[in-house]
Amino acid sequence: MNGGYALELRSVRKHFPLRGLMARGRFVHAMDDIGFSLGAGESLALVGESGSGKTTTASVIARLYEHDSGSVVVDGEEIAAFRSRAEALRYRKKVQLIFQDPFGSLNPTHTIRQILERPILIHGLAKGKDELEARLREILEQVGLSPAGEYLRRFPHELSGGQRQRVNIARGFAVEPEIILADEPTSMLDVSIRMGVMNMMLDLKERRGVSYLYITHDLAGARYMCSRIAVMYAGMIMEIGPTDEVIQGAVHPYVRLLKAASPSPESGLARTRVAAKGEIPSLIDPPSGCRFHPRCPYATGGCSAAVPALRDIGGGHLVRCVLA
Amino acid sequence: MSDQAMLEVEGLVAGYGTKKGFVRAVDGVSFRLGKGRFLGIAGESGCGKSTLAYAIMRLLRDNARIESGRILFKGEDLATLEPEAMNGRRWTDMAMVFQSAMSALNPVLSVGEQLTDAVHAHRKVSRPEAVDLAVEMLRLVDINADRLKSYPHQLSGGMKQRVMIAMALILKPDLLIMDEPTTALDVVVQRSIIEKIDDLRKELGFSVIFITHDLSLLVEISDELAIMYAGRICEYGRSRELFDCPEHPYTEGLMNSFPTLSGPIVRMGGIDGHAPDLLSPPPGCRFAPRCPRAEADCSRVEPELRDLGDGRLCACPLGGRARRGGTR
Repeated sequence: MNGGYALELRSVRKHFPLRGLMARGRFVHAMDDIGFSLGAGESLALVGESGSGKTTTASVIARLYEHDSGSVVVDGEEIAAFRSRAEALRYRKKVQLIFQDPFGSLNPTHTIRQILERPILIHGLAKGKDELEARLREILEQVGLSPAGEYLRRFPHELSGGQRQRVNIARGFAVEPEIILADEPTSMLDVSIRMGVMNMMLDLKERRGVSYLYITHDLAGARYMCSRIAVMYAGMIMEIGPTDEVIQGAVHPYVRLLKAASPSPESGLARTRVAAKGEIPSLIDPPSGCRFHPRCPYATGGCSAAVPALRDIGGGHLVRCVLA
Repeated sequence: MSDQAMLEVEGLVAGYGTKKGFVRAVDGVSFRLGKGRFLGIAGESGCGKSTLAYAIMRLLRDNARIESGRILFKGEDLATLEPEAMNGRRWTDMAMVFQSAMSALNPVLSVGEQLTDAVHAHRKVSRPEAVDLAVEMLRLVDINADRLKSYPHQLSGGMKQRVMIAMALILKPDLLIMDEPTTALDVVVQRSIIEKIDDLRKELGFSVIFITHDLSLLVEISDELAIMYAGRICEYGRSRELFDCPEHPYTEGLMNSFPTLSGPIVRMGGIDGHAPDLLSPPPGCRFAPRCPRAEADCSRVEPELRDLGDGRLCACPLGGRARRGGTR
């Protein structure tokens, strides 16, 4: 890794044009000035509510969308549109995406064996039948599906939601990627199953030394999974830093609101009255200046004038607020 | 538990007729809800919590039925009430807020029309009176009166759910049943809606049954908590105490299944395995196959929901016998 980052985004912007006659020239501002880095073997959580741009960010990194400007650097190499299939394959060997929906992301007509061996064959990662078999068994054991032989024969509909998500994760890991982009991997699972999948992902990360970009709306889950957190709001990063500095020492008014609103049984409702007002703004015509200013209790005149910069307040803790 | 019962459910069995037989989604559920109390019902998907809500409201689908048991609402058994009489109870005495606010509102009627429709359907009032009532209700849920003319697509998800709550409360029912009312909403919006329900409950004095899979939320907001597993209540008690000191191994596992925002980050267990198929539930205790403390007898003898005293009920023979330290 040459001491560099596994992944680095610098001021990445992604706007989606609206379709239709009336909408010409208007855009959904899904990502603006998104910048962060992810070290090798590190885990960063991207936390935000729906419409904050977190999934777009993962999709841009996975090259499902091309970004408009800024740069995405993976392994020291700036990425652009793929010029050949070989290039695309090389990239996907490094970066894998795990989707949220364990029901919709596995082909129902394929067995687990077919689902898992496909990426290994495409990337030519196994020489001969025995090695393929060994790889399949290894990855299934590692995601907690054993005996592996039993699961390889089955179809997705024969598995529970938690087991299906384990297959999804196994598929992501099958090509031995360097970076895993996990888009809300546990949000559709039942509470009692969720913890097992999260623990399994933590173990896999240890064992395989991958980097995680973990996308979630759950602040407590992000804290459990990652050493750093970036909180997004309306297409921008509002605060980023080491997990507990961002959660315990939250500076940005939005992050403090999010924290107060998150369920936390240790405290109880009476203590955490937040009197939350408003909702995330439309990204078609986002508010001028700081995107949180219409809801911010501390907003002053200047807040609507210019977008505040993401400033370092020490120790790698960055905040996008003039009050910080 | 509080003085006077608003709702008493006794041995309720309800479920669905399928090709493979009758699925007892709710299998012998009993509980008691006091006036003005907030009962949370928590459980995973398929545990029967929504079926329970629909059974109480007598809104089960055609292939579903109440098999046995009683639903005493202010002393009257709803389980055997004639459909016409039930129509008179719904909305006026008991109302329900559904999970999908997005699809529960009629897209071609304005908010005002939908609110006043509800009033006209159950009360003989003049139009202006109904509109006044609608405005008052919208004000209660912090929505401006000029929104009466808005259509659902002009409202955000949170506002739609507020409208649903206003609509449910417009006839001042004594009981409000909410089935995952905030699941599709973002945390901040969820929080504001829950604070609103709590305020309204204190102001209007209705009882609430709040159903969700999100236990961390329920622990915070409800007075009492019932934990359901595979069609049955496995533990019942004051939510704070249930969180601090769970007696049933399933409750304990659940409480050990969500990370926290403060304190040290420690590895949490969760629960191995998955919920049983209700067509052929395991014999004895239904949680036994997943239970870390199961003994040989557990898969033979069906445990009863025993009263452990102090408002706590637990369907585990181990409950109360061994108070366990370090639950979280």
